[in-house]
Amino acid sequence: MDVQILSPEAPSKSNSHKNQNAMDVDGGDVQLVMPGETITSDLQFMRGHGTYLDSESTVISSVAGVVERVNKLISVRALKARYTGEIGDIVVGRITEVAPKRWKVNVNGRQDAILMLSAISLPGGIQRRKNEEDELQMRKFFAEGDMVAAEVQAFFVDGAIGLHTRGHQFSKLRNGSLVVVPSALVQRCKSHFHLLPCGVHLVLGLNGYIWVSKPVIGNPESTDEADIERTYSNKNDIIDDAERESIARVCNCLRALARKFMHINDTIIIYTYEASLKYPVKDLLKKDVVDSITSEASHKLTME
Amino acid sequence: MPYLSQAERDYITEGVQSDLRADGRGRLDYRALVLETGIISQANGSARVRLGDGTDVLVGVKVEIDQVEPDADNVGKVVCNVECSPSASQQFEGHGADDLNNELTQALQRVLGGPQCGINFEKLCIIKGQQCWIVYIDAMILDYSGNVLDTIFMATKAALFNTRIPKTQIQDLGDGEFEFEVLDDVEDAERLDGIENIPIGVTLNKIGTGHIIDASPLEELCTEAKLTIAVNKDSQICGIQKGAEGGIEPGLMSEMIQTAKRIGQSLIQQLDQKLQDEEQQVDEKRLNGENIEKLGFFAMV
Repeated sequence: MDVQILSPEAPSKSNSHKNQNAMDVDGGDVQLVMPGETITSDLQFMRGHGTYLDSESTVISSVAGVVERVNKLISVRALKARYTGEIGDIVVGRITEVAPKRWKVNVNGRQDAILMLSAISLPGGIQRRKNEEDELQMRKFFAEGDMVAAEVQAFFVDGAIGLHTRGHQFSKLRNGSLVVVPSALVQRCKSHFHLLPCGVHLVLGLNGYIWVSKPVIGNPESTDEADIERTYSNKNDIIDDAERESIARVCNCLRALARKFMHINDTIIIYTYEASLKYPVKDLLKKDVVDSITSEASHKLTME
Repeated sequence: MPYLSQAERDYITEGVQSDLRADGRGRLDYRALVLETGIISQANGSARVRLGDGTDVLVGVKVEIDQVEPDADNVGKVVCNVECSPSASQQFEGHGADDLNNELTQALQRVLGGPQCGINFEKLCIIKGQQCWIVYIDAMILDYSGNVLDTIFMATKAALFNTRIPKTQIQDLGDGEFEFEVLDDVEDAERLDGIENIPIGVTLNKIGTGHIIDASPLEELCTEAKLTIAVNKDSQICGIQKGAEGGIEPGLMSEMIQTAKRIGQSLIQQLDQKLQDEEQQVDEKRLNGENIEKLGFFAMV
């Protein structure tokens, strides 16, 4: 058995220190700051999230992240932060608790999101009010540990995210595995559900949870008995080795992109996947391969 | 306690069956390691090992002089302690890591505390019946992404390789009285005796009917039973510990032990090679009068 034992690498010398006190965010350059670093000492700016003022009213960063400016307001968006939802976001979460008339869902936020019993769709798309009988068998829909794709519907008074899973694209997730990436990397797109050319289905949760799976067969909207059962099923379809390998490859491509801190969307995933095809799947965990496939993918993206 | 859905559990189990795990590795594939020794200047020896893109273990070795225990036969001892940093995982917050700390400390102490670890304990005794060296091994889990115990073993081996004990000079005062002096010179410090025989641990997780090494956190959640086998460079077994609730069939057990022996030996060879290479580089730099730069916590993750 061969194992790679490497030596640690020194961080690359960055050139981000060219503007110590200047403010040229408009230049298109991304300004990265560390906690305690001065962003500007110009009096005309106001401090926003992730910053504080010292006695001489210089704006100083309180987090490590990217400087953002809206007119005179300066804020710093942290590179590594918990997910703060926005209404309409597609998220992937894991059920952590079954409570009266609701589920608690871990969505990588500051607190667990809430999925109300009234906010889920019944198998077969039947339209009716949820009754006591449904309340007693809530674990038949979602039990602790289940993965779910959902949409942010509302916020509760305490700031908790309220989710819903009405609609055919939202469902219990199976047939695959979860990849966790920093939530800042997943961009808002027209669609967060993708069927890649390699036959792998993706749910890009804006909270940084990504579900990679074999597409579920059957029409979720049909009222056929077998399809109804499938909506809340815990059983995986039969996945053959080639499909399993494709899923693992996509998972590793996502991890590679996350390691290089690159934005994740369907195009870059396809490019990275194509670039990765000349390596065996397990080699995609190696650093040099990660460097090579991600640079090839980003090069292809800029060529367009 | 983290949860796992039934579908994920089945997916992982089937993956183990078909020798293709969720991250593309086979059953007996290890993730890449990053290793650096000698990063804590105050300690007698230290090492940091990172496994894959998660698990991060820092081990420091400190030697101290203490009284020989009256009923022990003029030997020094090794005292291990493992602590999980609360920042490593959400489940370690508060008292969440207490059980795991105990479990890991015990596992390490059981292997390294006795003669099976290969260290010459008699050499740790300075004056017979009076003073001896005590080797304190402190491991800290800085980040968690599965397979911690094996990583601790590897980091410990690396840290002990890096450890130097100051030399002592004994003076005979007559009447059976002795006195000793610790020599401050760094050049004079020497290695522990028997360092090459220190074992490492190989944890085999039984998932379904197969067994895997170097499990990821999700894989650890579906482990039915696990076996940690301490193996030294001659592939002798220095300790076995079983974990998790499930049982292991006798046939599978001996198969697992054989696998662990094979993998353990190969791991030790590669680890030793790396440690020697690293030391050689440091020595060369020292000879040339160059500055020896340790990256420690400034290394790129």
